[in-house]
Amino acid sequence: MSSSEAHDSHNPYLAHHFDTMEQQDHAARLGMWLFISTEVLLFAGLFLGYTVYRWMYPNTYQACANLLSIPMGATNTVVLITSSFTAAWAHHCIKINQIKRGLGLLAVTIVFACVFLVVKYFEYSHKFSVGQLPGKWYSFDGLQAPGANLFFAVYFLATGLHGLHVLIGMTVLGIIGYRTIKGRYHGGNHVGVELGVLYWHLVDLVWIFLFPLLYLI
Amino acid sequence: MSTKAHDSNHEDHGMGRYVAVFAALLVLTGVTVWTGEMDFGSWNIIIAMVVATIKASLVVLFFMHLWDEGPFNRLIFVVSILFAIVLILFVFGDLMFRIPGLLPPSIQENDIPKILESHHHH
Amino acid sequence: MAHSNVSVSAAEGGDAENKLPEVSFWNADHGIKSWLLTLDHKRIAIMYLVLTLSGFLLGGVLAMALRIEHLTPDETIMGANTYNRVFTLHGVAMIFLFMIPVIPAVFGNFFLPLMLGAKDVAFPRLNLLSLYVYLAGAALLVWSMAAGGVDSGWTFYAPYSLSTPAELAPALFGVFVIGFSSILTGLNFIVTIHTMRPIGMTWMRMPLFVWATYATSIIQVLATPVIGLTAVLTAIERLFGFGFFDPTRGGDPVLFQHLFWFYSHPAVYIMVLPGMGVISECVSVFSRKNVFGYNMVAYSSLGIAFVVFFAWGHHMFVTGQSKFDAGAFAIISMLVGVFTAIKVFNWIGTMYRGSIAIKTPFIYVCGFLFFVVFGGMTGVAISSVSLDVHWHDTYFVVAHFHFIMVGATLMGFLAGLHYWFPKMFGRMYHEGWGFVSAAMIILGFNATFIPQFLLGNMGQPRRYYMYTPDAQMLHVASTAGSTLVAFGFLLVAIYLLWAMKFGRVAGPNPWGASGLEWKTASPPPKNNFDSTPVVDEDPYTYNKKGEEVEHVLI
Repeated sequence: MSSSEAHDSHNPYLAHHFDTMEQQDHAARLGMWLFISTEVLLFAGLFLGYTVYRWMYPNTYQACANLLSIPMGATNTVVLITSSFTAAWAHHCIKINQIKRGLGLLAVTIVFACVFLVVKYFEYSHKFSVGQLPGKWYSFDGLQAPGANLFFAVYFLATGLHGLHVLIGMTVLGIIGYRTIKGRYHGGNHVGVELGVLYWHLVDLVWIFLFPLLYLI
Repeated sequence: MSTKAHDSNHEDHGMGRYVAVFAALLVLTGVTVWTGEMDFGSWNIIIAMVVATIKASLVVLFFMHLWDEGPFNRLIFVVSILFAIVLILFVFGDLMFRIPGLLPPSIQENDIPKILESHHHH
Repeated sequence: MAHSNVSVSAAEGGDAENKLPEVSFWNADHGIKSWLLTLDHKRIAIMYLVLTLSGFLLGGVLAMALRIEHLTPDETIMGANTYNRVFTLHGVAMIFLFMIPVIPAVFGNFFLPLMLGAKDVAFPRLNLLSLYVYLAGAALLVWSMAAGGVDSGWTFYAPYSLSTPAELAPALFGVFVIGFSSILTGLNFIVTIHTMRPIGMTWMRMPLFVWATYATSIIQVLATPVIGLTAVLTAIERLFGFGFFDPTRGGDPVLFQHLFWFYSHPAVYIMVLPGMGVISECVSVFSRKNVFGYNMVAYSSLGIAFVVFFAWGHHMFVTGQSKFDAGAFAIISMLVGVFTAIKVFNWIGTMYRGSIAIKTPFIYVCGFLFFVVFGGMTGVAISSVSLDVHWHDTYFVVAHFHFIMVGATLMGFLAGLHYWFPKMFGRMYHEGWGFVSAAMIILGFNATFIPQFLLGNMGQPRRYYMYTPDAQMLHVASTAGSTLVAFGFLLVAIYLLWAMKFGRVAGPNPWGASGLEWKTASPPPKNNFDSTPVVDEDPYTYNKKGEEVEHVLI
């Protein structure tokens, strides 16, 4: 048994199968990065779909991109970037035991996430109302082209999957907040917060690519 | 221990880094929106992707702490991106060199969208 | 001669000296809740064993149904639509319920922590979750069966999968869910191997089964998300008509194939690599010799894990994909043969001038080598585009992949099952029956699939329920072979179940093997080791380099 185990063994956060907190935290971060890599590969398939159909229907794609609202997309981008900042700040606060501020920042992050979803709701409902829909549902008269329904298929699939991750991320942040309130996360045990915030950054990361690809070019 | 990446607590860098990155991200967002409105032809895509990559790198390196992390965590992330790129590249190797008749209908030369301005309102 | 930590005599000692440990992981806790909510990796492994074998039974029964149907050229016991559903389900059950999970989830779960001297895997709760996720995915697949079955082939190609009236959605979601189980397992193992090795166990001192598991886990983590997405996209298309893969809506069905095979080709190495890991372990024990070329075997596992991600298009040579891609995929696919050959030569090098003990695991090692060499060579042959144009979608391909899958995964599984049986259950099985059933299974599989190589070369297409009368003799031969296999498996089930209760007590190390798992009791206690071992020697210690091997009876 390593000597460091002796002084860690009464750390209540140390699981029985790990010898030291350092080992446990290292494992936790490694696990989280592996999980993030699975998310990268998950979205990769949709980015592939985007690239393929854009190559096949370049003019239609550009025309469709013009149908999207850049102000709303840009707003959402700023919202997510800011929420990433507040999430990182929240983790920082919890790490240095400024618990109340950390909780407040977590709450702000979740609020920003809600704003994102609200903006998306407006975007989606507009598209539903004018028929800018994927696949066989496409019925928008303002743009008739064979690839248009595929643009919106990619749009809804990509932003839909991303939106699902926003919801999951909000839940994760909520759980972290709850656990912090209960006293489980604090300066002496904050890796859990770090992991949850990592997930939120991933959500931001995906949108950083989705925004220009769908709205701007 | 089998591997020693770093201390249980990342050294505390303070908020300075995060604020700087946040500011840079906002600026870059502005850049990408501004250049997106302009027409550089086929350069638009490249500019947009370059800016997005820079933004993403800032988020990954600093918000997500890959700058401080051990080599293996960085390797995992980089490899996943590389494999995603491989997926896209090889499929393009197929698409671009496929016999023309084997692509779905209305490819490229038929790709002339009919736009009715009256239906557009932003 | 140095294996001071091995008591060879234990195997010779007989059960007078060996008693089953009073308390092991089997009876450490009581009650069904202690099993269903266990965090003990060994109990999770046993539960996976039961589940994956059930999947194997399902796939096996369906296989027998297919073979019986092929006794006559026309309809024998089922019509065309039923046949489509049977071969689809055979593929889906075998691949997703058995082949992909079995060795990692059973032997990986049981033995990875033991081989690393650890108390458990890195994330025990995630481990339990992976089991329940597997169960949920399996339930979805059973639902699709109950709803009348799926008839698109396990490959679910668009556009047929988009338009068939069969109930595909539960099957597709089942694949998606089971994929998660695979990802969680792989993730767990990678973290375990990175962070929980004992003091003294450097990377190059890990057992080769651990290396193989590591390489497999990398593939599981990186490739599986793509099939998850593809399955869900296909389901969404069926349900909502998004047109992503549908040519009538401007989509590209070949895109489906690209996405599907990006996972499914690396997936076959998820099936093959763990089997190779088991073989590395068994070949050294039963030759009483350190694995020859340990470094190369370890590196070739990583090499395979890397290269196979770039080879998927060899399934698509006849889709009309570009010649550029076809050429690239062909050459890269052949490269995999190089890594496999490296391993085969090293295993043979291990056996050379070793002291061979012809026990059941070793028989399966021999079977493995035969099937992998010949199956592998036919694989290299098929990866030439020109040859594949003739063989694609014929029985030749079917025979090739069954040779590899039976050879690598099934032989690996059976070898591991017999090698590790005493450790898991504390008792020895009967060698005589082991030998007989191994012979039946190996000969039976040869008899089943060699005729299929010939059928395929003749031009007989796969997935057809009828065939031309000139093919009947070969089909009947193939069915006869499969019957022999079925009886072989029945025999294995009988004597293993018997041995669990009544076999001779094995003791901690009946084979006199190296490896940390043999330094604890059989079956192991709940916490694996009384104290964390310190590793100060190589993983295989049967002989010093350059020394002649001592001939020892085990």
